[in-house]
Amino acid sequence: MLLGALAIFVAACGSTPTHHKAKASPTPTPVSTGNPSSAVTLNEAGSSLLYPYLQVLAPAFNSAYSNITLAAQPGGSGLGINDAIGKLVQMGGSDAYLSDALATANPALLNIPIAISAQAVNYNVPGGPDFIKLSGGVIAQMYEGKITNWNDPKIAALNPGVSLPSLAVVPVRRLDSSGDTFIFTSYLTATNSAWSNGPNEGTTVTWPAVSNELTANGNPGMIQVCHNTPGCIAYIGVSVENTAIETGLQEAMIGNKSGKFLTPNQSDVTAAVAAAAGSTPSDLRQSLIFASGANSYPIVNYEYLMVQEQQPDPNTAQAIRTFLSWAISPTGGATSGNLSAVNFVALPTSVIPKVTAAIAKITG
Amino acid sequence: MIGAGHGAGGTAGPEVPRAIRRRLADQDLTTRDRVVRGIFLVAALVPAAMLLFLAAEMVDQAIPALIYSGPRFFTGQIFTFGNLYATTESHHNGITAPLHAQYGALPFIFGTVASSLMALVIAVPVSVGAMLALTERVPWRLQSGLSIFVEILAGIPSVAYGFWGILFFGPFLAHDIYPSLAHVLGFIPFFRSPVGAGEGLLTTALVLAVMIVPIIAATTRELMRTVPVLAKEGALALGMTQYETAKVVTLPYVRRGIMAAAVLGWARALGETMAVLMISGDLVNRFPANIYGPFSTIAATIVNLLDSALTDATGTGIHALAALGCVLLLITVATNLLGRFIIRRATGGRVLPIGRGI
Amino acid sequence: MRNVLRGGRDAAFWILCTIALLLIIAPSLAIGAGLLQQAWPALNLHLFTATTANHGLQNAILGSLVLCLGVMIVAAPVGILGGIYLAEFAPRRSGSWIRLGYETLAGIPSIVVGFVAYLVLDQELHWGFSLLAGILALSAIVLPYVVKTTEVALIQVPTTLRDAGAALGLSRLTTLRRALLPPAIPAIASGLVVALAISLGETAPLLYTVGFTDQNPTFNLFQHPLGYLTYVVYLNATLPTRLEHEVAGAAGVVLIFLLLFLIGVGRLVGRWAARYSASMPT
Repeated sequence: MLLGALAIFVAACGSTPTHHKAKASPTPTPVSTGNPSSAVTLNEAGSSLLYPYLQVLAPAFNSAYSNITLAAQPGGSGLGINDAIGKLVQMGGSDAYLSDALATANPALLNIPIAISAQAVNYNVPGGPDFIKLSGGVIAQMYEGKITNWNDPKIAALNPGVSLPSLAVVPVRRLDSSGDTFIFTSYLTATNSAWSNGPNEGTTVTWPAVSNELTANGNPGMIQVCHNTPGCIAYIGVSVENTAIETGLQEAMIGNKSGKFLTPNQSDVTAAVAAAAGSTPSDLRQSLIFASGANSYPIVNYEYLMVQEQQPDPNTAQAIRTFLSWAISPTGGATSGNLSAVNFVALPTSVIPKVTAAIAKITG
Repeated sequence: MIGAGHGAGGTAGPEVPRAIRRRLADQDLTTRDRVVRGIFLVAALVPAAMLLFLAAEMVDQAIPALIYSGPRFFTGQIFTFGNLYATTESHHNGITAPLHAQYGALPFIFGTVASSLMALVIAVPVSVGAMLALTERVPWRLQSGLSIFVEILAGIPSVAYGFWGILFFGPFLAHDIYPSLAHVLGFIPFFRSPVGAGEGLLTTALVLAVMIVPIIAATTRELMRTVPVLAKEGALALGMTQYETAKVVTLPYVRRGIMAAAVLGWARALGETMAVLMISGDLVNRFPANIYGPFSTIAATIVNLLDSALTDATGTGIHALAALGCVLLLITVATNLLGRFIIRRATGGRVLPIGRGI
Repeated sequence: MRNVLRGGRDAAFWILCTIALLLIIAPSLAIGAGLLQQAWPALNLHLFTATTANHGLQNAILGSLVLCLGVMIVAAPVGILGGIYLAEFAPRRSGSWIRLGYETLAGIPSIVVGFVAYLVLDQELHWGFSLLAGILALSAIVLPYVVKTTEVALIQVPTTLRDAGAALGLSRLTTLRRALLPPAIPAIASGLVVALAISLGETAPLLYTVGFTDQNPTFNLFQHPLGYLTYVVYLNATLPTRLEHEVAGAAGVVLIFLLLFLIGVGRLVGRWAARYSASMPT
């Protein structure tokens, strides 16, 4: 990590490599930003979890930098990754970092996190308890078809004294290539060995055959399907959690590494980030799932924008650097108002220098 | 050979003796004419070139996946891109795919054929019956007015059908029709509850039926208008009821044409994407549990899984989708050619199949 | 006794047929009513002044119209010239092969066209989200209809006109231009109307080739996504809130209006064509 910062510092200075004294904290990399000379539209597509946040940021950004328009679209993290790789958009939104295979195949594609988000597990059990407690192992078994009814003893064991109605479990999963699927299955992989040996994690996985499972496109689609289906359980990103609750879905408390059951609120997510973000490498591909700590919420992730290092022209590169730097700055995009509108949390300060170093690599 | 015996497209209009046509064609062409003819020829070849390009590209993309899966592609029930975040890969017959990737297309082939066949079985009697009513019983002045409904149905985009299906027709069926249907036909396992929320095989078949009715109905109407009035009047004069006249005179006359239109309608249903995408429930990877249950067709699956396939760094995922597309291509092209062949045989090319119905 | 049975069968049959007719009329009314009912609160000027980022349809309407324009520019000339070739110049045997070609093309599912266009044009040729790729994909779907209607239109022109041209010693091109095409134009125009209707209503070929954006269309052929109406219907119908359903319904209503307009134009043109050819010397 230190060597990385050193190398970038050297490159920024433009001098030949010499032995520098090891620094206690890396010097922030200078990044050239500012309103480009001609109007630029930045096209973004991808994560439906990130999309509401970009919708909040776009107008504020445009008033700060009048020559840059951010045009964002949902469509799933897979779409974001593909479009960024294929250079169909300038920025691809994804809740999932690149897989090893894709990272090797696309060495010039940067994973740039701009915020921390989380995921909730919602359910629709009329007559059932609010804030039911579910562990990762139990949820995995529901998605494997091993737990088929809401009054199953394994669920009851986690919720002593609560009466559970007899209702068939209907697991709902994402059909599109989804970062939400990635972080959800990462959680299941960490908590259930059968899942780890089987479907494991990914934006697309081989879902076990459960006879009444349903599919949905995008986070809003998950809300729609779960709302129409009593007995459903669904994984939904926090940025649309308010809508989910408004339509009548219930939110589960899910088990973390210390055995505590939590919902995704600001402090529990921040605790998870504090525990896991320290080991983030310089390529920023880091999982924050199932972090240790008594109050760490288990499904927490970086929200990434995938950007090619090499842009077609300097104006576009300038616009992208400007947006990204503005987005992670507490005085720019990452204000508490913007973040709390979508239940996101700001990037930890320890990670910001690495993100800035990555942004500096974008040239045109 | 299809169309071999019909000259440069003999259709409605005064029948021109072949000898005169040949003489005209052989007349001296100026140089300007020859140049112009060359340009026109290039333009005429564009559709064929596009067709060949599409077919070649699809087959070329599909081959690696077919090699990887072998004949299990057509019989396998599991279609998955595998573990895309794993660090090892699967190898089969020299092709690399992600770990545990499997490409079995049977549920999609079933979904495609089943939904379109069911749609056909519903659409043909309704179209024929409706057009009989229209041409025989409805006053002549109203006929043009009522046929506009057929044109409207033909022109409605498939996303509008899907919209209607999700928000109105599906819930209506699930609340009001399916429970009674499951009750009455519940002794057949496939028709038993649960009836779900309206997105599934039967709903899709019904909406597809509405979509292909225009094709069948428009052609049927034109065909029925060509039935010799004398034959019908003769039957009536003999004392037959209008129903018997229809059964004995009209229907046998138009039967082949209806068959051809039905085949064309079936081809349209096979290739339908957007409406199916919206109301089929999109269950990739399994046969529907019952007739009301979610399923998927080939066309809808290609749209649904394209993003996932593109995140497959080995590229075999895309090849698998191309292979699915090839299967669809084969089925629809064969069906279309069959339909047009029957039409030429049945009507001497006189009545054109009205593709999109307008 | 037998007459009663026959009469009964007759009545029953026609009741069934009338039901069938109603089964055809009902959905067209139901779909229209459904779209209107969902769209009603949203049907105001806001639709035309705001983009899809603000629950309007401006970018989508403009995008659909740009696509239609592009299809007219690309597919109309190619289709008409091709149809002229088949009607006027083609020797019998190669003519039927060409006809087989475009009839088969008509049967290709639009998703296959979109899939190939995306892989080859957007990815391999690096066009990115490309208006031209979308236009080419739509043209591939629409061409067979233009070619066919042009061919049929020309065949219906009486051969006496061709004879007259030959007798006067005119070149084929001049005969075409002066004598054959004018009477055929109404029928060709109705073929173009069909092409426009199809372009407006298609989604699958455009889904991946042009992407989607909230911005108004530029006329950039490459590297720029484009918004269009059918995508709005598709996406918003699957979203959970009432407001989004309203926008979907509104997009559907705009589409249906445009299509009804086209159907009306098509019928008018057809009627004019019939009157024109009825007044032709045979």
